[in-house]
Amino acid sequence: MTDTLSTPPAISCKGVWQVFGQNAEQQLAEALKQSGGAPRGAADLLREKGLIPAVQDATFDVAEGELFVIMGLSGSGKSTLIRSLSRLQESTAGEINIEGEDILRASKARMTELRRSTLGMVFQHFGLFPHMSVIDNVAFPLKVSGMGRSARHEKVREIIKMVGLAGREDAFPRELSGGQRQRVGIARSLAGDCSVWFLDEPFSALDPLIRRQLQDEFLEIRARLNTTIVFITHDITEALKLADRIAIMKDGEIVQIGTPAEIVLNPVNDYVAEFSKDVATGRHARVASVMKTGADMPADMAQDPGLRSDMTLEAALAACVSLYGPVPVRDANGAVVGTVSPHELSVRTLEGADQHQPGAQE
Amino acid sequence: MSIDQLRSYAAARPGVAAVWLTVCVGAFCLALEAVFPWLIGWPSVLELPASDWIGAGVTAVLETVKPVARGFSYLMDFPMFWTNALLVGTPWPITIGCVTALGWYIGGLRLAALGGIGLSLVLASGYWTESMNTLALVAVSVPLALLLGGMIGILAYENARVRSAVLATLDVMQTVPTFAYLTPLLLLFGFGPVVGLVASAIYAAPPMARNVLLGLERVDPDIKDAAVMSGGTRFQQLFLVEIPSATTQIMVGVNQCLMAALSMVIIAAVIGGFDDIGWEVLLTMRKAQFGQSFLAGLVIVVFAIVIDRMSGALTQARRKRHDRRGLYLILGLTVAAMVLLWQRLPATADFALFDPLASYVDQSLGNFTAQNGAALDAFKNVLVFFIFLPLRIGLDNAVLSFTWGFQWTPMMSFAFYACAAVLAASLVWCERALAGGLLLVAALVLETGISELPWPFVLMGVGALGWMAGGRKLALSVVLMLLAILLSGLWERALLSLYLSGVAVVACAGLGGALGLLAAASPMAWRVLRPVCDMLQTIPLFVFLIPVLMFFQIGEFSAFLAICAYAIVPMIRYTQHGLTTTPPELLDAATTSGATAWQTMWDVRVPYAVPTILLGLNQTILYAFAMLVIAALIGTTGLGQSIFLALGQADVGLGITAGAAMAMLALIADRLVQGFAEERRKALGL
Repeated sequence: MTDTLSTPPAISCKGVWQVFGQNAEQQLAEALKQSGGAPRGAADLLREKGLIPAVQDATFDVAEGELFVIMGLSGSGKSTLIRSLSRLQESTAGEINIEGEDILRASKARMTELRRSTLGMVFQHFGLFPHMSVIDNVAFPLKVSGMGRSARHEKVREIIKMVGLAGREDAFPRELSGGQRQRVGIARSLAGDCSVWFLDEPFSALDPLIRRQLQDEFLEIRARLNTTIVFITHDITEALKLADRIAIMKDGEIVQIGTPAEIVLNPVNDYVAEFSKDVATGRHARVASVMKTGADMPADMAQDPGLRSDMTLEAALAACVSLYGPVPVRDANGAVVGTVSPHELSVRTLEGADQHQPGAQE
Repeated sequence: MSIDQLRSYAAARPGVAAVWLTVCVGAFCLALEAVFPWLIGWPSVLELPASDWIGAGVTAVLETVKPVARGFSYLMDFPMFWTNALLVGTPWPITIGCVTALGWYIGGLRLAALGGIGLSLVLASGYWTESMNTLALVAVSVPLALLLGGMIGILAYENARVRSAVLATLDVMQTVPTFAYLTPLLLLFGFGPVVGLVASAIYAAPPMARNVLLGLERVDPDIKDAAVMSGGTRFQQLFLVEIPSATTQIMVGVNQCLMAALSMVIIAAVIGGFDDIGWEVLLTMRKAQFGQSFLAGLVIVVFAIVIDRMSGALTQARRKRHDRRGLYLILGLTVAAMVLLWQRLPATADFALFDPLASYVDQSLGNFTAQNGAALDAFKNVLVFFIFLPLRIGLDNAVLSFTWGFQWTPMMSFAFYACAAVLAASLVWCERALAGGLLLVAALVLETGISELPWPFVLMGVGALGWMAGGRKLALSVVLMLLAILLSGLWERALLSLYLSGVAVVACAGLGGALGLLAAASPMAWRVLRPVCDMLQTIPLFVFLIPVLMFFQIGEFSAFLAICAYAIVPMIRYTQHGLTTTPPELLDAATTSGATAWQTMWDVRVPYAVPTILLGLNQTILYAFAMLVIAALIGTTGLGQSIFLALGQADVGLGITAGAAMAMLALIADRLVQGFAEERRKALGL
């Protein structure tokens, strides 16, 4: 999934800046010159002048078919970044390639075409058109691209069924619940057969139960379509549940990019660590990340609970909870690749859960 | 106290400093009045013949545009002729049937009944043809206004630079008195109904533009983004998504546009030349046939209510769909009635069912005035002699032996000021310097009279208010506007206008505020007041003149009453609204602290509502200025009279200058009150 060498990335962002304020472009160039090209220094200079560097020097690649989550608190610039990616606003500097095409240089007409054929987007507050029925909302992208009424309705029924709204085609947005509304939003963004899918906090406005249900449905749809996805959220559990890779943003800066396990187990700084504090490590980290490898493996080969390197810590601990000595860990083919001690497992599993108990660190 | 101490004190309390500075300027002017009379009246040598210049300039411009205008006028004759022919020519059962059916379509039984009964009343009054003439004018001017306003609104929405220009223009247009539109148009289009048409289209377009812009701006940003990301072109985004999403607000614009057009069409009747219902009111009013006048006024009110409620129903986001069978039934009945009555259809002019009512009104009015005339006159005279006149020309001129029982002497002036000074000094002693200063200002105004205030004093006072409300920029702009009026030679008239509208505004603020407070305290009272407010806001300005004329004859006092009746509504509404929208957690906090209902009202609700109440006051001021000009019809002095005179003589220069002076007074008041409201809002962190 993260093998970006063999196939070119579906989305490639290089040095994207989004600065709000007067003469942003010129001011950014000056600030970068003054700071000698250091993004953080330039951002500080811009802030001093009263501008807002909402996204600073964002650089990352998203592979084809990858689900890339951008996560951060409100005001961290994550929504601004996805608006830059979809060119709902003009970036101040940088380069954004989507399927090999530099969209920041694309003409207006080309952008319209791209949005009709390649890009799909889901919004936090759904963005449903109040004067259109469900089916007309979903079919809107086809309507604007000039498809006839019966043809587009035909096509769209399939998608409406997929998101579980069959039978509600003629309802109006005001008659739907929040969860149903977002299903319409999802269906609409899929109507154009997009290959790149942007979701801006799609489930944040929903209550927790509905949110979890939609997350599961979302994963199902995703498995079926295999689109490249950029997903924005402020919820670490959601990010960990869905993501192939996560980018964490703080004050406009991407502070870390990594797989969910990397984010939880090896946070680059306290800010990232703070996020995963409330998450029990054992539920997300894999055995591979804590096992010992190499020549000195003092494993008690006699006792083999059958641990595999891709098990979660929680599952592994359950399997060897009654054992004492280090036990072997095998890979998918059954070959021994390392060892781990049950004690180590239990400590690492409870790490996240422990930390937020008062006094636990002393 | 040293100078430095004074300066730091003034910096800490700018309000007090401003008031005392104003007092000093006033005292200085009064002291030197005898030596330098130009301190009171601006010397006419220094007046610029602004109205002549403007008249010449505008006339020159208008003359060049005239052929185009006359061409337009010629073009407009066609739709007007045909609409008129259609509305007047259509047999009345069909018109009534169609309006009833429309009412059913929009709002079911309630609106169908309103439409049917309303138009039947119009028919029964015998003013059918006149009403249809008026309706024809509205029917042609409203589409023009909607188109114009809609285009301006969309253009302003699409282009930020156009937006700020449009908003500034709309702000100013709101303050330009209605009559002032008419004079230049008269020159352009010549006498005739086209002037009324164009004036009402121009007057009715701004509310449409404002609401279109507001509606489009308020569309949920996610909806706009969704349209972009669906791959819509700008045109598709606008017409397929954004405008339909803004329908509710745009319908509010349509409603306001219709009401404005109706109001203006009726005002434009003063030009004459078109046999419409407004003209009928004017004519009967001039002949003192108040019964007939009242009847024609009622017809206008009926029209206004039908149009307002029907178009108002369109602004409700979720309308119930009404059974189509009702629609067909009404239309079927109409056709049946037509077939049955075809041969014997009575002419509309034959209906005069209410003529007995009119003569009854005349008669009972005659009886009433005969019996209570003395009491009415006494009431009027007390108010005029003891409040209006002193405020207008000052105690020094108003206190005469045959009204007050003694003659004011310079000695009394001296004693009066001495008393005020002693009181003010004791207030300052008790650390109430602001109150002391204000007391002195009030004493000065009362002794001199508003119309004879020294101009440096007014400039200083208004400038100081501007300073406190919005800083240097606002102070500078209000003083510049006053200077412009001073130079134009309309100063005395402006002060007279200021006096009358000022008295009316103070009365409205007091009474309206009290009524609003009552409505906020008692839902029962609001249930009674609310329909009255709705009603007063639906009635076209013109009609307010009829009842006051009936009882108090032509004059300033009648004008005052008409202004109050119209301008009091926003004060009541905003006060009630402000007082009842306090956040519930604040009220809970007050209750749990042990506050009684009245303590909660005074200490929590009122302070929280001040910004809203100030906005209501602002509206009241603008309404008062608007009505002041209309009230010129029944005899007021001041700028309104000038504008009205200019209309009669087709004097473009005077019309525009007086209109501009009026607009400037309104703008000054508007900016000052908005400034204070903004400051309060900031202080409350809203």
